[in-house]
Amino acid sequence: MVDNNQLREAVKKTISRDDVKYVVGYEKGTYGFQTTPCFAYKPEDADKFIFSPLCVHNLSVFPMLEEKPPLRKGEEPDKRKIGVVVKGCDSRAIVQILQEKGLDRDKVVIIGIPCTGVVDPKKLEKMFPGHIKNVEVKDDDDKFAVTVDGKTQKIQKSELIPDKCKTCEYPTPILYDILIGKEIKSNKNEDYKKVNEFEKKSLKDKWEYWEKQFDKCIRCYACRNACPLCYCKECMVDQLNPQWVRRSVNISENTAWNLLRAFHLAGRCIGCGQCERSCPMDIPLMELNKKIEKEIREMFEYEAGVNAEEKPLLAMFKPDDPEEFIL
Amino acid sequence: MDSLLLSKNDLPKFMTELIKKNKVFAPVESNGTIIYEQITKPSEMNLDFCKSEYPPKALILNQTETLFKFTPGTKAKIESVDIDEKKIIFGIRPCDAKSIAILEHAFKGDYKDPYFLKKRENTVLVGLSCTKPEINCFCTSFDDTPASSKYLDILLTDIGDNYYVEVTNDKGKLLTKSMSQLFKPAKDSDIKKKKEVEKKAVDIISRHQKTNGIADKLDKIFEHPFWKDIAFKCVGCGTCTYLCPTCHCFDIQDESTLTKGARVRVWDTCMNPEYTLHASGYNPRPARTNRVRNRIYHKYNYYPKNFDVIACVGCGRCIDLCPVNIDIIDVVTRAGEVKP
Repeated sequence: MVDNNQLREAVKKTISRDDVKYVVGYEKGTYGFQTTPCFAYKPEDADKFIFSPLCVHNLSVFPMLEEKPPLRKGEEPDKRKIGVVVKGCDSRAIVQILQEKGLDRDKVVIIGIPCTGVVDPKKLEKMFPGHIKNVEVKDDDDKFAVTVDGKTQKIQKSELIPDKCKTCEYPTPILYDILIGKEIKSNKNEDYKKVNEFEKKSLKDKWEYWEKQFDKCIRCYACRNACPLCYCKECMVDQLNPQWVRRSVNISENTAWNLLRAFHLAGRCIGCGQCERSCPMDIPLMELNKKIEKEIREMFEYEAGVNAEEKPLLAMFKPDDPEEFIL
Repeated sequence: MDSLLLSKNDLPKFMTELIKKNKVFAPVESNGTIIYEQITKPSEMNLDFCKSEYPPKALILNQTETLFKFTPGTKAKIESVDIDEKKIIFGIRPCDAKSIAILEHAFKGDYKDPYFLKKRENTVLVGLSCTKPEINCFCTSFDDTPASSKYLDILLTDIGDNYYVEVTNDKGKLLTKSMSQLFKPAKDSDIKKKKEVEKKAVDIISRHQKTNGIADKLDKIFEHPFWKDIAFKCVGCGTCTYLCPTCHCFDIQDESTLTKGARVRVWDTCMNPEYTLHASGYNPRPARTNRVRNRIYHKYNYYPKNFDVIACVGCGRCIDLCPVNIDIIDVVTRAGEVKP
């Protein structure tokens, strides 16, 4: 379990530095089980910081959302660092962005939190619907201690964690400047169970399944905006000349968008699941991401976001690549 | 207003009759969520829900609307589309029905939008009182209730063995009259029962927004640092606007192949920087702070000033599904409290 005091101390120490602009972490949300991203600009802001299994967001999206408004004459750009609180999976996003040179290592201060799994908010809401006040979830070994209206129940983690945590291989952040608590080693491994099951289906059934899913899409692009790796200055889907994807919301354009999104993350998706968590229409986007991840692991023995020194997959060339797919 | 009674056992008969003569859209379960879809028999409906995944405004202000079709080239031909289609939305909630009345203000102003107005005119709203408000429902903050018939043509309220039926206008009367054998007049005891159901639902609602004098207050805090506080965590997706029953901004595009084309109108979102990007490259709302603030101002300042109504119905969808917990109840309540 993470010691909130230790976390707050680390945030205080970081924000007290002259070269840090702000630190982004988590605080309690406005209702129920919600937590929400929060920002510390001065040391006392750190007092509201928390970490619990409810901290589901990947905050490494925030350095990528930095807006750079035009400067007034004589104004210097703010070159200070951004502090980010990250879990294991979140840190992989930063590693991947560093690999791609989307971010400079000396522009971020990483406060790492070893994480044994977060709660899937949808599963939690199903189990305890409609609770607004006096709720809490704490880590308790292989269980979550869920408090509702003053009563605490212990629930097996496996019942409440999202799929990504069930097979998490990197509970401790890969890259950090400060680590809160002790390193955790994973005994889990990614077996791509869902992908393997899906692969057994016939082509017709596969299309039928995804058509039903894509048909629901309202093209709000929450999947893109919540994704730390979707940081293109101008997304291809917003471009007008040429217009790659039409604005009409129909099965054809929706399919184009969803497949393009998945392919643009090939070898880059680090599996934090923000796309799926943010999707208001419950499209299982991680199933697409995981399929591509599996193919890449099998073909190139490459995993995204685990080594900042490595080149990105699509920037690598190996003379001994069998290139079996070239006719 | 007519007060009638419809036996629950007669609902399938009522629905079957409606379906025979009209296109009927009703709440249907699809992949574990509720959406409004055209039904062919009453058994397809699912009435055990609070609110649909996305608002039924989509049946009147469609996410993708073809305005006209054309054949491109030097001998261009333009073909109009048929928008004269009658339909019934059954099971719409009072909050969602109110949203359609709110949308109407925008579409019948200086420029009368034929597409929206024709569809609105051709749609009969047969509502169903909400008996199980959810965690983020706050319709009572706008002097409405989960069982308010104000914006509906007909409202059904589940009072046990029967539905208490309120017919508020001629559109509604036309429907009930054609099946008058199914309805009987309601007694005072039934009205009492409806009031009890309404009170029970009102009591479930536990979150409230303070909207007193909000429009004037917002005039004074436009440049307040409070907005940065609220908006900095926004990731800029359009979930809140697309799921909002009163948001109505759109984009118009020509989509064509070599041989055929169409001018389409699609929902747009002010959360996207491209929404306000000028052709010159200048963007008057360059940052997330500007955009989040605009969403709140549009609903709680511009709309009340222009049309004398707050453009929020308290359905709570934007709160339920915001990926970073930007909570409009909290934002507006806090805006009321900050010192100018």
